[in-house]
Amino acid sequence: MKPPLWRDIRVLHVAGQVAFVVLVVFVLREMYLNATFSLAERGRVLSYDFLDSRAGFGIKETFIPYTPNSSFLSAFQVAVVNALVVTGVGIVLATILGIFVGIMRLSPNWLLRKISQGYVEIIRNIPALVQIIFWYTAVILAIPRLENSISIFGFAYISNRGAAVPTLEGGEDFGTWGLFLLAAIVAAFLVRRWRTKVFDDTGQPHYRFLWSSGTLVGIAAVGYVVLGDPFTIETPEIGLRNLIGGISVSPEFAGVLVGLVIYTAAFIGEIVRGSILAVSKGQKEAAEAIGLRPSQQLRYVVLPQALRIALPSVTNQYLNFWKNTSLGFFIGYPEIINITRTMTNQAGHELEIFSLLILIYLSVSLALSLVMNILNKTVALRGTTR
Amino acid sequence: MSDEIRKRELRGLQEDVSRATLPDEGRVVESAPAKEPKTPGEWIRLNLFSGPFNSILTIVAAVFLVFLVFQAFGFVFLNSDWRVIQVRMKGYMVGSFPIDEVWRVWSSLYLVTALAGFSAGDSVRLPRGRSLVGGVIAAVVATVIVVYTTQTGLVRLLAAAIPALFLASNVVGRLVPPKTMRRIRTWGWVLIFPAIMIVIRGFDGVAPNEWEGLFFNLIAAAVGIFASFPIGIALAIGRRSELPAIRGFSVVVIEVFRGVPLVAWLIFSRFIVDLLLPPQLDLPDIIKAFVVMTMFSAAYIAEIVRGGIQGVHSGQYEAARALGLPTTRMMALIVLPQALRATIPALIGHFISLFKDTALFSAIAVTELLDAAMRLGLEFQGQDAQTLVFAALIFWTIAFSMSRWSQRLELRLGVGER
Repeated sequence: MKPPLWRDIRVLHVAGQVAFVVLVVFVLREMYLNATFSLAERGRVLSYDFLDSRAGFGIKETFIPYTPNSSFLSAFQVAVVNALVVTGVGIVLATILGIFVGIMRLSPNWLLRKISQGYVEIIRNIPALVQIIFWYTAVILAIPRLENSISIFGFAYISNRGAAVPTLEGGEDFGTWGLFLLAAIVAAFLVRRWRTKVFDDTGQPHYRFLWSSGTLVGIAAVGYVVLGDPFTIETPEIGLRNLIGGISVSPEFAGVLVGLVIYTAAFIGEIVRGSILAVSKGQKEAAEAIGLRPSQQLRYVVLPQALRIALPSVTNQYLNFWKNTSLGFFIGYPEIINITRTMTNQAGHELEIFSLLILIYLSVSLALSLVMNILNKTVALRGTTR
Repeated sequence: MSDEIRKRELRGLQEDVSRATLPDEGRVVESAPAKEPKTPGEWIRLNLFSGPFNSILTIVAAVFLVFLVFQAFGFVFLNSDWRVIQVRMKGYMVGSFPIDEVWRVWSSLYLVTALAGFSAGDSVRLPRGRSLVGGVIAAVVATVIVVYTTQTGLVRLLAAAIPALFLASNVVGRLVPPKTMRRIRTWGWVLIFPAIMIVIRGFDGVAPNEWEGLFFNLIAAAVGIFASFPIGIALAIGRRSELPAIRGFSVVVIEVFRGVPLVAWLIFSRFIVDLLLPPQLDLPDIIKAFVVMTMFSAAYIAEIVRGGIQGVHSGQYEAARALGLPTTRMMALIVLPQALRATIPALIGHFISLFKDTALFSAIAVTELLDAAMRLGLEFQGQDAQTLVFAALIFWTIAFSMSRWSQRLELRLGVGER
């Protein structure tokens, strides 16, 4: 016997969903009408055309070419690149620091364990924003002024206008020398494999690090001599208002980077600790039994397995790092929030700009988790589908 | 089926790791030497100088630590003038909240204290051994700070009433029959937020645009938990729904709100709410900010609750079905009560991070704790370091004690053991 139509669960499901979709569409339409109405009241329309017009404001720190004559779109691109650069540098540093913190937390040395614990407990419980503002105003801006920059053997300078390190200034043959370098890397890699094979076959000491780095430096040096000074080293100098030459970082960049790296490393440290503890105890005992040194036990047995457990949580921390670059807004680092805010001041079009902002945050998050998922697949145990 | 269980176990493990709150020192000792030291000398040899490498590490770490302690000592006792904080304590706590109405804030504080003491039950014990030493030190430091940062005897008295009230209500909580106690506790925590709102806003109270200082941060975090809780549960159930339209909608809402940082939501809240809602609805800016923060928080709560729902054993669903319960009653009577109980520690964690995030309200010209500290730093040039450090100390104290509390709660609820 078939139930009547209004008690048939399949009919109810479809009807319910249709009603829900209608409701959502209705609410969205209301919102759209409200938006166009409010905009029309102010004599504006919903349009993305303004993105091509002249931005008209300067940006202090850019990694891609930009002038006030560039378009709003390129200002937005500058902002995205700025945020991406902080994220890229930051997650590498935070991961390294975090691994140290996590391993220190499990060290047999009581003092190291307590230092690591204190670091984690203090840093995790203070808002990242407070820390960034502290590093920026109380530490970085308190560094000597430009005239009295701290000089590191005349090569690098640190001042409250930024820090600068020497850079390579390429000459005519710089490109050719780059080819030499590439060849050197390939050769070093091959030499390393050869030494490993020798070691595997005969058991003679491999010294593969010495061999390969020697090859690398040797070929690069030969290239340098043959081409006759393909590059010179440009050291920074103290200018009137800024450090001139070399690769320099602004105080704002340094503030965001230092604050977020220290903050995120505390969380990564806890993840690393938890993951190492989650590796079965028998693994370490087995490694000990076959005679590995403590550092080897960690390097070859415990850490690779801990990595597998840690990766999903670490991915979350990377996503948080990306979103936390928005805190740079508070100290004037030209990241996405900062630039979009200037853009709304200059051009209005808040809804359009905000939609761009949502789009870029979501797509970078998505790309980041995609990369991490692929990484996760490569390290995951075969046969576990997750 | 066993595959499903293994998946669930893996997920549980993953969640444990991501929370990574393993407070028990016992597991750390695994990597420490197995030999039990007997004398202090032996302990030092085993834990600090067990080999040449270890000794070097100890010496380097000790030098670093001594340097830090010297710096901190110099900062706290020599280079800083903490009178600034004493003079502006009210600014830190409530900002420009009308002084005649401050009794409302004290009453709310006492309400929360009484409820916390009442619900703590027998987890409040006389500290013994090491925790006694720690407790005494913490109490002394807290007393010194309170005495040093307050100006009048009345304020000190009102502050001293907090621990007294906590202990008194704890005694009351233990004297009432357990069943009544549990009922009052549950309803108390559900009703505490509306009650505070009545105390603050009722009877010619104080409007949200005058909420400032630490008081604002706490209220904003509470709004983020209480107002977004129903929405969060709805989104969580929606995301688990079998109906693609509802599931899709929930996923989009959750991911969009989680994927964009809170600062962006706050800064754009004015424009978005203005443009999307009917213009007749003329809300103050701070309420618009609360609206978007509520949605932001609801997205996070949805993910927490979803974790809780997934943790409910499938047998529970099957049993509810076998009893013939329809979906709504199955969720309300069987699944959610178990799921929510398991999510309490994670919700406290969310409250802590929301509390830390409330510092972001300074972006929209709200004089919350951090903003108050920064204004003070501008006012007293050259002392911005200690005004900031004091704000950080307040944030830290509250976040740290809440995370400790949630760790203990986690052990007591036995989360992760089922």
